[in-house]
Amino acid sequence: MNTAQQTARVGLFFLLGVALVWVTFETLSNGKIFAPKSHTIVARFDDLRQLKAGDDVLMAGVKVGSVLKTQLAGHRGEAVLQIDSNIDIASDATATVAMSGLIGGNYVSIGMGTAGLPPLMDGAEIRTVESPDLNTIMAQLGGLGKELQSSLGSFSSAFNGDPKTGGGIMQKLDKLVTENTARINATMENLQQITDKINRGDGTIGRLLNDPKLHDELLATVDEIKSAASQAKELVANAQAVIAQVKSGQGALGTLVYDKKAADDIKASIADLRTVSDKIARGEGTLGKLISDDALYNSAQITLKKADRALDGLNDSGPITAVGIVANALF
Amino acid sequence: MKRIVSILEGVGSVVQLLVKSVSYAPTLPRQWARFVEQCYLIGYTTMPIVSILSFFIGTVLALEAGYSMEGFGAKEYIGSLVGLSMARELGPMMTSVLLAGRVGSAITAELASMTVYQEVDALTVMNIPAARMLVLPRLAAILVMMPVLTVIANIVGWFGGAVVARYVSFVGISSESYFAALRHYTKFKDVIYGMEKAEVFGFVVVLVCCNIGLSTRGGPREIGAAVTRGVVVSLILILVLDYFVTKVLM
Amino acid sequence: MNEPATSACSKTRNPFTGVEANAVGVRVDAISKKYDGVTVLKNVTFDVQPGEIFVMMGPSGSGKSVLLRQISGLEYPTSGTVTVDGMDPCLEETRYRVRIGLVFQAGALFNSLSVYDNLALYPREHRSGGEASIREKVMHALRILSLEDAARKFPSELSGGMKKRVSIARSLVMEPQLMLYDEPTSELDPVMSATISEIIATLKNEYSVTSLVVTHDRALALTIANRVGILMAGRLVTLGTADDLRSSTDPRIVDFLNPKIDIEHPRFKKLEAQEKDTS
Ligand SMILES: Nc1ncnc2c1ncn2[C@@H]1O[C@H](COP(=O)(O)OP(=O)(O)OP(=O)(O)O)[C@@H](O)[C@H]1O
Ligand SMILES: [Mg+2]
Repeated sequence: MNTAQQTARVGLFFLLGVALVWVTFETLSNGKIFAPKSHTIVARFDDLRQLKAGDDVLMAGVKVGSVLKTQLAGHRGEAVLQIDSNIDIASDATATVAMSGLIGGNYVSIGMGTAGLPPLMDGAEIRTVESPDLNTIMAQLGGLGKELQSSLGSFSSAFNGDPKTGGGIMQKLDKLVTENTARINATMENLQQITDKINRGDGTIGRLLNDPKLHDELLATVDEIKSAASQAKELVANAQAVIAQVKSGQGALGTLVYDKKAADDIKASIADLRTVSDKIARGEGTLGKLISDDALYNSAQITLKKADRALDGLNDSGPITAVGIVANALF
Repeated sequence: MKRIVSILEGVGSVVQLLVKSVSYAPTLPRQWARFVEQCYLIGYTTMPIVSILSFFIGTVLALEAGYSMEGFGAKEYIGSLVGLSMARELGPMMTSVLLAGRVGSAITAELASMTVYQEVDALTVMNIPAARMLVLPRLAAILVMMPVLTVIANIVGWFGGAVVARYVSFVGISSESYFAALRHYTKFKDVIYGMEKAEVFGFVVVLVCCNIGLSTRGGPREIGAAVTRGVVVSLILILVLDYFVTKVLM
Repeated sequence: MNEPATSACSKTRNPFTGVEANAVGVRVDAISKKYDGVTVLKNVTFDVQPGEIFVMMGPSGSGKSVLLRQISGLEYPTSGTVTVDGMDPCLEETRYRVRIGLVFQAGALFNSLSVYDNLALYPREHRSGGEASIREKVMHALRILSLEDAARKFPSELSGGMKKRVSIARSLVMEPQLMLYDEPTSELDPVMSATISEIIATLKNEYSVTSLVVTHDRALALTIANRVGILMAGRLVTLGTADDLRSSTDPRIVDFLNPKIDIEHPRFKKLEAQEKDTS
């Protein structure tokens, strides 16, 4: 091959290289080489977190520039932001250091500000808002987890008993049954006798059936039993809903991150529960009917089992689960 | 002990050769034809293999990334992974490895045979230093050609990745989202960074191979040994330098 | 005969220093050379006067080529000193002052360059004249050695004798002040050998080029030499004019200069016996 041809090929090859570098540059940097006209603004924060040079500056999620450098300015951290020249930032806009993910990098988020205000000039300082640090949030979550645990602890002690207050619902029920065995037995015997008498066709049955007053009284008693049972069911349903919420985590915890109302709610329902069980302990009104209702007992037991499981789960994984839930919520 | 001494000797003679060659830099315009010839040999003729290799490196990267990222739904990031690793590491690295194999061996063989057959002695007697006529044009050529080879490797590798991302069924992300991720995470400075690395590797490979070729002693059999040594030393140096250059440039 | 290569440019000035080129002398002072503990040259002392033709003879392996490497500045002797025109030949500045031509025993042609480019390399690299004058010079040297037809060929396409001639032509193009020939006629026919002798003589007579010729060629040595040295096993055993040598009675020299061909020599008998053994 002659030299001229060789030179031509090398020249072509070199030009190809230059062209490719150019293409790469154009695609990757959107041709900033001919438009280096960007302006810088300064943002001062108490804590820049892990913000570093090269991180993005976003406005409504759109990249409008990048962090040029970070440095100390007096007692605060200062980030110099390079903003694309065609972007105007209103002078009342605020900047925050935001996280792009739990383990991801940081970026500077700039609010829109008020339209129509004069834009920030080159070198101007932008107003800033400190954002909560991830670590702080984590610490709060840890505290929350503890609170949750303690309130659930009292919830469970309401069910399972607290030796000082004389036991939980179950123990109280047990106690009631044991204490009143004689009377229950007597009642049963009486019933038996009545049945027997009816069976025997004694006069009493006619009297019972024909006496409207007695009949009405009997009906009223049955109604009373019914309403007591439904009341108890409602209570259990309430407890179930709270537990379900705790288990699903989302709603309750989402609220819990910001206020403690839910925790108070739980405490309140536990207080309600206690009142009820106290009432039962005092043997108020509906005692006989309550005891005779099997379904109530069964469903109360199932609920207790469920609550137990939920509590176990929380005890096992404690704050980690909480973090998991929060993490899920964040992503 | 002997090994250490011989290594030190090698380092010393490389540095000497470098200083000598650089001191002849003003003669480069006069050696234009030689420079172009070396550019041709080092750059133009190496391009096809560099392209082929980087294409497949790009495809494998995309494939592996697709396979492992599928598990946690991060397939959209394949572009960024291929883009960054090609530009910052694999582009310059594989180009240099190929350079060591293809150009480094050729340089060593040529200079070793010139040394063994006394051509270098003849040059010395003619007062034409080997550093000026044989080494300088090669060093200049590698400096000019290496960025070109690297950028070709990068772009071809990126397209290789795009092909896999698009057409392999279990990866299956569109070229648009592949290149969007690539462009979002790969900055032009990453490409420049890769080129700087490549420049260092290429320069060292050529310099070391020249030195090994010129210090060959003995008969034709030594030519083969010199070529082996040139390639092995080049490869080791590329890997060792990679660490340090990466650290310095970080 | 043909005109010598340098006739185109009479007694020229050194292109680098601008100083009129005058003949240079060589001093070899008590040099020894060891390779890995093997002593190849042992305390060799002699000098070559400016404009003289000095012929060094000696049996194969006696160290003649090694001696030329020391004088041309390719290697440093283990002990002793070599000076060319009073300077150390290994230094680069010496090479700028004194042009030394060395005809390698094996030619040492640049295999990647054509014959023409082999010859043109030196003037091009040292920028002595434009391409036209270089061309004239190169073609002249090729013509002297009957190599015009080989100008476009590459070394690998040449015969052994042609390579030797190209090597000589290449040195002539350098317009050297000191010529070192390592066996210039070893692969050449008698006519070409005579041409080489004429070239050496012409260079001396018309351009006072100092020549140091290493050769086995007795006829060449005894016709052109001003002085002859004989090297045996690394030692210089005699030093004198051609006539001194012819009239020498030293048995080593007589044997070396007039070898008796004796096919009945016992070592051949031994060889035959070995052949019989193996068959
Ligand atoms: N580089 C070297 N390393 C080790 N030994 C060497 C080297 N060069 C030459 N020798 C030894 O030095 C001795 C002289 O070698 P030299 O080439 O000078 O012989 P010579 O006189 O030129 O022989 P010839 O007439 O065959 O060319 C030889 O025994 C050779 O083995
Ligand atoms: Mg010899």
